[in-house]
Amino acid sequence: MKRKLKIYTPFVNAGIQEVATYRVNWIFFMLGNAIACLVSYFIWAAVYSSGTKESMNGFTMPQMIVYIVLMFLTNTIIASDGAYVVGEEIREGSIIMRLIKPVSYNATFLFQELGNKLSTEIAIAVPMIITVEVIRTVLSGVLQFNAFNLLLYILSCALAYLVNFYFNICFGFIAFVIKYLWGANMMKNVVIGFLSGTVIPLSFLPDALEKVFLFLPFASLNYTPVMIYMEKYSGAQLWYYIGLQAFWMLFFFGLSKLLWKASVKRLSVQGG
Amino acid sequence: MKHIKRALKIHRIFMAQEFKRMMEYKGDFVVGIIGFLLVQLSNLMFLWIVFTQIPNLAGWSIYEVVFIYGLSLIPKGIDHFFFDNLWSIGFFIVRKGDFDKYLTRPINTLFHVLVEKIQIDALGELVMGIALVCVSAPGIEAEWSAFRIIAMIFMIPFVTLIFTGVKTITSSVAFWTKRSGNITFLFYTFSDFARYPATVYNRFVQNVITYIIPFALTSYYPALYIIKGENPLFNLGMPVVAAVVLMGIGIFVWHKGIRAYESAGS
Repeated sequence: MKRKLKIYTPFVNAGIQEVATYRVNWIFFMLGNAIACLVSYFIWAAVYSSGTKESMNGFTMPQMIVYIVLMFLTNTIIASDGAYVVGEEIREGSIIMRLIKPVSYNATFLFQELGNKLSTEIAIAVPMIITVEVIRTVLSGVLQFNAFNLLLYILSCALAYLVNFYFNICFGFIAFVIKYLWGANMMKNVVIGFLSGTVIPLSFLPDALEKVFLFLPFASLNYTPVMIYMEKYSGAQLWYYIGLQAFWMLFFFGLSKLLWKASVKRLSVQGG
Repeated sequence: MKHIKRALKIHRIFMAQEFKRMMEYKGDFVVGIIGFLLVQLSNLMFLWIVFTQIPNLAGWSIYEVVFIYGLSLIPKGIDHFFFDNLWSIGFFIVRKGDFDKYLTRPINTLFHVLVEKIQIDALGELVMGIALVCVSAPGIEAEWSAFRIIAMIFMIPFVTLIFTGVKTITSSVAFWTKRSGNITFLFYTFSDFARYPATVYNRFVQNVITYIIPFALTSYYPALYIIKGENPLFNLGMPVVAAVVLMGIGIFVWHKGIRAYESAGS
C-alpha cells in the first residue's frame, strides 16, 4: 500500500501542476458554463411565472434554482477527461508507452485527475455550497443546512466521479471505431446531459421513462448526488441509490479492465 | 468586379479541396452532424416537456418559441459551416506560428482564413433550424405576406455576420495574446441567450444581448417583426447595422493585429 502510494503521488503532483498551467482556460470554461446556467435560470423563472402551479413535479421555483446551482457544482466535481485522453492515445499510438511501464493504466489517470481536482474543486465547491445554503435560507426563511446530508452528498459525489471516470475510460476505446473524437465526445455529452437530468429533472419525464432513466448508470452521475443534497431521497431509498452507484462503479471498473485486455490484443501502432 | 471574380474562384478551389478531404473520412462527418442534431434534439425535448406544464412561455406559444429557436440556428449554422476556421486562429494557429503561411500568400489574410475550411458538422444545426422554422411557421398566428418572408430570408446573411463578426474580433485578440480561443468561446456562449424570446430575461440581460453582445438581434428581433409586424425599422434595421458594425470592427482589429503578430520561435 505504501509502495503504491509512493508510485502514484507524482501523478497527483503532475495533475496539480497541469491546472496551474491551464488556469486561465479553466476559468473561461467555468464562466461559459455559468452563462449556460444563467440561461436555464431565466427559462425556469419564466416557466414558473407562466404556469399556475407553485410546484411542478416536486420542484418549487426556489428548489429549481437550488437544483440548477447544484447540477452545475456536481457536474464540475465529477467531470472526467478520460474518454478524450484514452481516445487520443489510441489514435496517435502513444498508448504503447503505457504498456511498457509497470504502473496501472487506469490508476495513473485517476491520480493525475485527482490532483487536478484537488486544486480546482475545493476553490469552487466551498463558495458554491455556501451560495446554495444562502439561497435556500433566504427563499424559505429557515436554515436548511444539514451536515449529515452534506456528508452523504460528498460520498455520493465520490461514487459518481468514479462511475464517470471508469465510464469515460470505457468510452475512450471507441477511438478504435471513430476517429473523430471531438464529435464522438460531444455526442456522448449530449446524451448524458439528457439522461442524467442535467437538462431537465428526471421527475419531469413520463413515469415509465423516469423509472428506466433512474436505473441507467447516467442517473448515478449527477442526479443521485443532487437529489440527496436536496433531501428528496430518504431511508431505504437513499441507500438503494447509493448502492446503485456502487454497482455501476464496479460494472464500469470491470468493463474497463476487459476492454483494456481486449484492445491490447487488437492494438496496432504504425511507425514510431 | 475583377476582385470579386478572383475571390469567388479561390473560394471554389478551397471548397473542392475540402470536399475531397471529407470524402476521405466519411464516417467521421456523420458523427459530427448527428452530434449537433442531438444537441438540438435535447433542447427541443426540454421545451416540449416544459410546454406540457404551461400554456405559454411568458406569453409566447410553443410555435413561436420553436420558430425563434429555429431561426437562431440558421445563421449560427451558416457561420459554423463556412467560417469555423476562425476558432483555430484563437486556439492554435497563432500560438504555433502557423499564421506565417497566410502572410506569404497573395490573398487577403482574413479572406484566406475564412474560406480555407468548411465544417460539415454545422449541417446538424442548419438542417434542424430550417426544419423547425418550416414546421412551426404554420402554427403561428401571423399575417404572413410575401414581404415578411422575403424580409426573413434577406436578414439571414446579415445576422450570420453578427456571429462571424464576434468571432473575428475575439480571434484577432490572439495576435496580441497568442491565444484567444477561450475568449471566443465565452462570447459565443452568449448566443445561447438568442435561442429564446428576449422577454424571458431581465432588463439587464436584454440590454447586454441587444446592444453589447447582440445575439438577440440574430433571431428574436427579426422574429418579432415577422410574427407581430412590430417596428420594422428597429427589428430589421438594427441587426443589419450591428452586422456591418461588428464585421467592420472585426476587419479593422484583424488588420491591426497582424501588425502585432510575431511568429513562434523555432
